[in-house]
Amino acid sequence: MYGFKYHRPQTIEEATKIFAACEEGSYLAGGHTLLPSMKQRLAAPTDLIDLADISSMRGIREEKDCVVIGALTKHEEVASSELLHNAIPSIADLAGNIGDAQVRNRGTMGGSIANSDPAADYPSAVLGLGAVLVSDKREIEADEFFLGMFETVLEEGEILKEVRFPKPEASVYKKFPNPASRYAVVGVFVARTMGLVRVAITGAGPCVFRAREIEEILTKDFSAEAIRNVRLDADLMNDDMHASADYRANLCVVMAQRAVRELI
Amino acid sequence: MIIEETESIEASIDRVWQGLNDPGILKLSLPGCEDFLVREENKFEVVMQAKIGPVKARFRGEIELSDINPPNSYTIAGSGKGGVAGFAKGIAKVSLSPGNNSEHTEMKYRIEVTVGGKLAQIGSRLVSGAAKKLSDEFFEKFRESLTDTGKDLEQEAPG
Repeated sequence: MYGFKYHRPQTIEEATKIFAACEEGSYLAGGHTLLPSMKQRLAAPTDLIDLADISSMRGIREEKDCVVIGALTKHEEVASSELLHNAIPSIADLAGNIGDAQVRNRGTMGGSIANSDPAADYPSAVLGLGAVLVSDKREIEADEFFLGMFETVLEEGEILKEVRFPKPEASVYKKFPNPASRYAVVGVFVARTMGLVRVAITGAGPCVFRAREIEEILTKDFSAEAIRNVRLDADLMNDDMHASADYRANLCVVMAQRAVRELI
Repeated sequence: MIIEETESIEASIDRVWQGLNDPGILKLSLPGCEDFLVREENKFEVVMQAKIGPVKARFRGEIELSDINPPNSYTIAGSGKGGVAGFAKGIAKVSLSPGNNSEHTEMKYRIEVTVGGKLAQIGSRLVSGAAKKLSDEFFEKFRESLTDTGKDLEQEAPG
């Protein structure tokens, strides 16, 4: 690891000010992607701005039709939240199956979402539920937020503050985890609200995406049987030592079927 | 891993071939390329700033052209070392054929990417996505620099 300056601001304003003033700053949330990259000398920020003390970015609260989760809330806090277990249990369940206990006690929801790792779990809940992402500058719809592998619409220095998840009638997250890392080989989030169905898939492509074909079929006929013959385009899928593109394309439908069966 | 694509470019086959051999255009097209120096005929030294998600590192590498068959095909091979992180190699076979008319060219390419060292160990699940993204970026900029929209690009680039 190369040397860097360490900052620990108390407020978001202070954090963005430090970021603007340094040569090549990087915000630090849970650090599960950034710190290993720095240790391998694949990243060398001049300044590390640790957001851990900004208490306004932590916690879970209920508003009228939605649940608001602070970006710095740890996976473990989400997994064990009684509020979420009652309001949107699928999110608590998703968080409880991220990585291992160490990861869940350091990693943060906002870090996972802003990083947009192709196999991260949270982006599927954000997109599947049609959440609103609140940064220090603006509010962003989930459908506009994710651009590609490790790419979101967040600009340099912009901080993701919190995420507003609308409460669905029913939702579930089904993941096929890599047995070693627990990363999603494929993870499918299905949500149903007022007859409309949203299906977001992570792990399969360069970035989380909505499976519109599956959504359309399920909106008309919400059954596992109805989507049995859907074939997703393998050209758009990841292909690596863990699973081939064809396998992933097939697995998307299989996991979507499992999700649907659980919701019926 | 292997990437195979066919691109249709709105430029004559001679123009595309010229672009594929022009260090200035190659430099503009290579994502994050900071230096593209001619070392000897058909051999270049490059410095690239790779930026993909958490990774932001400067790599030094070499590029060599071989199997040159103007204006139809060549092989472009690049290799880079990322210090303790490991290395990456890519070999691309590029072939051109005339499109529907004289102002159209079909470009076929087949890229083989190998990654070694720690880079492969920690990044194996990301290598194919990253390689795809970089090659898409390359050909998008390459196309731009050959067609009208590319004029601004060329002016911006120093040297």
